[in-house]
Amino acid sequence: MKGWSVARPDNMSGKGNAAGPHDSQQAPLLVAPGEDLGDSEGYEVGHGVIVMDGRLRATKQGQMKKDGKSVSILPSRTKYFPRPGDLVIGLVEGCTNNIWFVDIGAPFNAILPMSLGPAKMEFGGTRSVIDIGEAILCRVQEVEETHSSVVTMKGMGLRKIRSGTVEDIDPHLLGRLIGRQGKALRQLKEDTECRVVAAENGRIWIDGDFEGMLEVRNRLRKMTAEAKAATPGGVA
Amino acid sequence: MSIPLVPQLLRSHLIELAENDQRLDGRGQWDGRDVQLEVGILGNAEGSAKVRMGDTIVYAGVKFQTMTPYSDRPNQGGLMCSAELRPVAGRQHEPGPPSPESIELGRVVDRGIRESGCIDTEALCIIPGEKAWQVILDLYAISDDGNLFDAFALAGIAALRNSVIPLAKFELGEDIPLDVSKTPIMCSYHRVGGRYVYDASGREELGGDERIHITLGADAHVHSLQKGLKGTFTAGEFAELMKQARTKGDELRDLVHSLEGGN
Amino acid sequence: MGYGDVQMIDENGIRVDGRKAGDVRPISIELGVVPVADGSCRMTWGTNEVIVAVYGPMEAHPRKIQRQDRAVLDVRYNMAPFSTSDRIRPGFNRRSREISKVTSDALESVVLLELYPRSKIRVEIEIICAEAGTRCVGLTAASVALADAGIPMTDLVVSVASGKINGVVVCDLNKSEDNYGEADLPMGILPNSGELSFLQMDGDLSQEEFQEAWDYNMEAAMVIGGYCAEALKNGGYNL
Repeated sequence: MKGWSVARPDNMSGKGNAAGPHDSQQAPLLVAPGEDLGDSEGYEVGHGVIVMDGRLRATKQGQMKKDGKSVSILPSRTKYFPRPGDLVIGLVEGCTNNIWFVDIGAPFNAILPMSLGPAKMEFGGTRSVIDIGEAILCRVQEVEETHSSVVTMKGMGLRKIRSGTVEDIDPHLLGRLIGRQGKALRQLKEDTECRVVAAENGRIWIDGDFEGMLEVRNRLRKMTAEAKAATPGGVA
Repeated sequence: MSIPLVPQLLRSHLIELAENDQRLDGRGQWDGRDVQLEVGILGNAEGSAKVRMGDTIVYAGVKFQTMTPYSDRPNQGGLMCSAELRPVAGRQHEPGPPSPESIELGRVVDRGIRESGCIDTEALCIIPGEKAWQVILDLYAISDDGNLFDAFALAGIAALRNSVIPLAKFELGEDIPLDVSKTPIMCSYHRVGGRYVYDASGREELGGDERIHITLGADAHVHSLQKGLKGTFTAGEFAELMKQARTKGDELRDLVHSLEGGN
Repeated sequence: MGYGDVQMIDENGIRVDGRKAGDVRPISIELGVVPVADGSCRMTWGTNEVIVAVYGPMEAHPRKIQRQDRAVLDVRYNMAPFSTSDRIRPGFNRRSREISKVTSDALESVVLLELYPRSKIRVEIEIICAEAGTRCVGLTAASVALADAGIPMTDLVVSVASGKINGVVVCDLNKSEDNYGEADLPMGILPNSGELSFLQMDGDLSQEEFQEAWDYNMEAAMVIGGYCAEALKNGGYNL
């Protein structure tokens, strides 16, 4: 059965990928889910790529990347997926006598056991330490195969967030915010004299002088708008 | 609707913003988001409108049915207005039977339009005691980023004002435009960070308190009021809202009329 | 009026809307139309207009609906009250339930649900304006919206229906053809593999007519699959 690159009508915009997928081209190769990326022989699959019947196939919409023997997709948009060691900002959604349930913007809530909490406490005293609706800066400790993830507040700088504000950006824009070796983020902090913590799940904690906080938010909004404008269809 | 969790940080930040006369998206206290209004966009509805206010998007569609007039009002037709908060409109909107929120929403919009008397129900009568038109206005939210009330009310009146009574379809003659004599406009105010603001966004609604809805006619006559959610307000606060609603209402009414061109 | 009493196709094989037997109605695709959703798509197809929003993958509530080995795909097909010529009363509707189920089954075949155990993905299909073939438009638009949300899938699903009018097999029935036609064969086709994940049929077709309708669907699905891919890469598609 033919793929759609063959069945494409002639009146299309001319951006078709007539050349083979492995051909390196100056323009980035955009792919849609299901697209055939060539023979899998000799290639390793990365993010967003699977092998079906000996062929490489895209499972996400985005840019195809070829790095040596590895083929992957840089997705246009993707949900945050927790990995151990990630610094994240969580929102406490509920608790029991010894566990907090934390929304970290992932496909599944994380748990924060009492033993990994911010302070020594009594069994049954969870709410007095972190209440429902409060935000925390924490680190992903482990992610099990069935997606139960555990976060910890033991570590440098991990704490309950008591002041400032938290803004959301799409996780794939984090690179843009942080810049090469963190240059853009450092500049932003210097310009606004604010504390800006960019967590891996796309939540940005901004704290400092009131005017500075407004400035940081304005710049985040501008960055998101620019990213949208740069790529058509509102995705970046 | 599932009860959304209110992040405490958002609440405290909104208070800080209010104290400095600022809002999350940089608007002034009485500024609304950009409004885009389109009418006559749905092929199968006898009248339709789409409203976009920021990231809030709603549709309104008008359909006509024939009904038997109520025995106590044999020479009158009817107007029915229903709002649906489908789960398409947001993560917090759950599937299931209509929530109390969506019922309140539909009824408040309905009262504003009905009580303004903009539709002459006697003109909807076909045969007294036997047959009359029922005008059904359906309000449909596609994307909820706050202030569905105003978006629904605006889309609703705009859709009614461009409706056509489908006489031909019912083999009763030629289609005629529905006569809508007035343009009631709703303005909604939420208490956010301790003060009232116009046209609250989704985050402002989430971290805010009570809300007040005011529907006014062109002559500044009041057609419906509603106070919703937990909280109290003073007479002084209300007087200011009424003043603001008159200015804003005129502005939005002009927008609705501007689409009607030479009519 | 019975089948075949209305002349819907002339002696030159031209249909009431000017199409030839194998032609598909004009299609446009727009992405990101529901700003608060994780992925969304608006598709117009003839005078059909469909909006699909995707939410998730996210925590599945309540806990009893969670699956330990994969995500739950929660698909809802719904027609707006003003989408048809006679108003549709909101609320429970057997037709919508059935279409939601077969759409869900068709999408489950391509979405890599096993990557998100215990989560939920919500797909909301809203028919804003209906002409004919809304289930096909809904399914196609849903697969594009899922891709827009960045949800991993092995292929898109493109759905199209062929049928028979006045004894002639034609592709992509419009409203009057659907009302007076003699058969309707909607199929959901994976444009890259050519496999099917959705199939329904009602009416009366001979073996030869059935094969002809099948081939029309296959051919159209490849073309529409191209539009969908183009839309995803370039942020929209307008014929």
